[in-house]
Amino acid sequence: MNERISVDVEMRQSWRYASGAAMERFCEGLRNKRIEALRCEGCGRRYLPPRPFCGNCHLHLSHWVPVAQEGVLEAWTVVCLPFLDGRTGTVRNGPYGMGLVRLDGADTTLNHYLAETDPSRLAVGLRVRAAWRDDLRGAIDDILHFEVMQ
Amino acid sequence: MRPAAIIGTGQTDHGRCRDDVSQPELIREAANRALADADISPADVDAVVLANMEMFEGRALPELWVGEGAFANRKPCLKVATGGTSGTSSCIAGFHQAASGLFDVVLVIGFEKHSEGHTQTGMALTDPFWDRGVASGALGNFALSISQYMAERGVTREQAARVAVKSRRNAAMNPHAHLKDANATIEDVMSSRVLAHPVRLMDMCPQSDGAAAIVIASAEHAAKLCSRPAWIKAAATRHEQPYIGDIDRRLLTMRTLRDAAQSVYARTGIREPLKQLDVAEIYEPVTYAELAWYEVLGFCAEGEAGRLIEDGITEMGGELPVNPSGGVLCANPVGATGVIRVAEAAAQILRRAGAHQIDGARTALATGYGVYAWADALILGSTP
Repeated sequence: MNERISVDVEMRQSWRYASGAAMERFCEGLRNKRIEALRCEGCGRRYLPPRPFCGNCHLHLSHWVPVAQEGVLEAWTVVCLPFLDGRTGTVRNGPYGMGLVRLDGADTTLNHYLAETDPSRLAVGLRVRAAWRDDLRGAIDDILHFEVMQ
Repeated sequence: MRPAAIIGTGQTDHGRCRDDVSQPELIREAANRALADADISPADVDAVVLANMEMFEGRALPELWVGEGAFANRKPCLKVATGGTSGTSSCIAGFHQAASGLFDVVLVIGFEKHSEGHTQTGMALTDPFWDRGVASGALGNFALSISQYMAERGVTREQAARVAVKSRRNAAMNPHAHLKDANATIEDVMSSRVLAHPVRLMDMCPQSDGAAAIVIASAEHAAKLCSRPAWIKAAATRHEQPYIGDIDRRLLTMRTLRDAAQSVYARTGIREPLKQLDVAEIYEPVTYAELAWYEVLGFCAEGEAGRLIEDGITEMGGELPVNPSGGVLCANPVGATGVIRVAEAAAQILRRAGAHQIDGARTALATGYGVYAWADALILGSTP
């Protein structure tokens, strides 16, 4: 039998995406440690991340409401595998905590990292607070992770 | 709309790495088997529908490069890509083509060669502003939801492990399955390594290379070509809001799947799924999801899924066998995975499921799942 032949491909590429008005204002807020949600005038739902439309009511969203930097841990896990960061192309090695956080003032939950990596210290219902990076850049990773409040 | 039915199915022998074939060759393997099963020739095929998640292989326009393998040259051919639902959605698209009167014989093929690319890269290239910076793929999303399922409904790790054991055991009777182990134990599952708390290796579906195909025919052609067609009685698909945090308790409520199932149940007169369905092939990427979706699909009341698996209700000999094929937990070439669900459900009605045939199967459910956003449901039956 012949040796199997395969073709190896490696590439390095970059992309640029327009944020749109809603995400633009939100990212500007993050640069000042300010978190805001967009509220639907139809159903009253406060969306985080903010987006231009309410999927349920089909209305355009423009009513901004303030959101606190702390809230409730609604779901959690500790990931033990290395995972690719799709923004930077770098790998995040485990273990790292992840959670769905319902910040006070928002109705949706926010998917983000947790500082805690010990499963025995995590539980649905814990209060958590945002920890910010030093050099704020106006992006979701301005929030480093959420810390369990004592 | 006119009735339409599945008259043949074909699958490759799925595995971790099918480097013995290229993508077109892999597809041809499944397509040939489906045409042989339906006892038709390539010239009988009027249109082709393909399913593939091209970001996983990093090969754009797969329908162009693999079309010859799919017998698509000089025929209408389109591709469907909706994450995990790609396969079931492509079957529904093929059904619509045949049922609408547009075409008489439609060949649907799903395929994926995870070994050739980077599934994690494909999963990571999501919304660049928000999701991408905090993503941990299907695994992380499921693990988050499972923490809610366990906290709210008290499902246990052992109950989830029973799903994996059932799956591996069933797969041992399926020549196409990727992972098989007739002797797998609950202890094996519970001692396999943690991927993302509480999900362990044996709780999670693999990444497979494979392809699957079905032949859908209009009523007139189905009756002429097949003595016992698997009639597509109803099909539904649902879309959802994008971010994982948008829907509360996604795994538990899974409203896309619930709505799709209720739609097809209503159109086929199914009020008691556990009693009225003979077999189900559901898209369960993780053991806990199978349990949660017993509840969403109405097989049992909320919080009762653990009892269902403990009592063996969904085992091969139970009241409603779920995934006699071994399911997604034992073979997961993503673009093909939904087609496999439909093909396996059809094979049960066609009485061609071999060692994992459910005696007397007349009504079957197949479901699809994609990225927590999409869900599909189909009811197949032995009469139009």
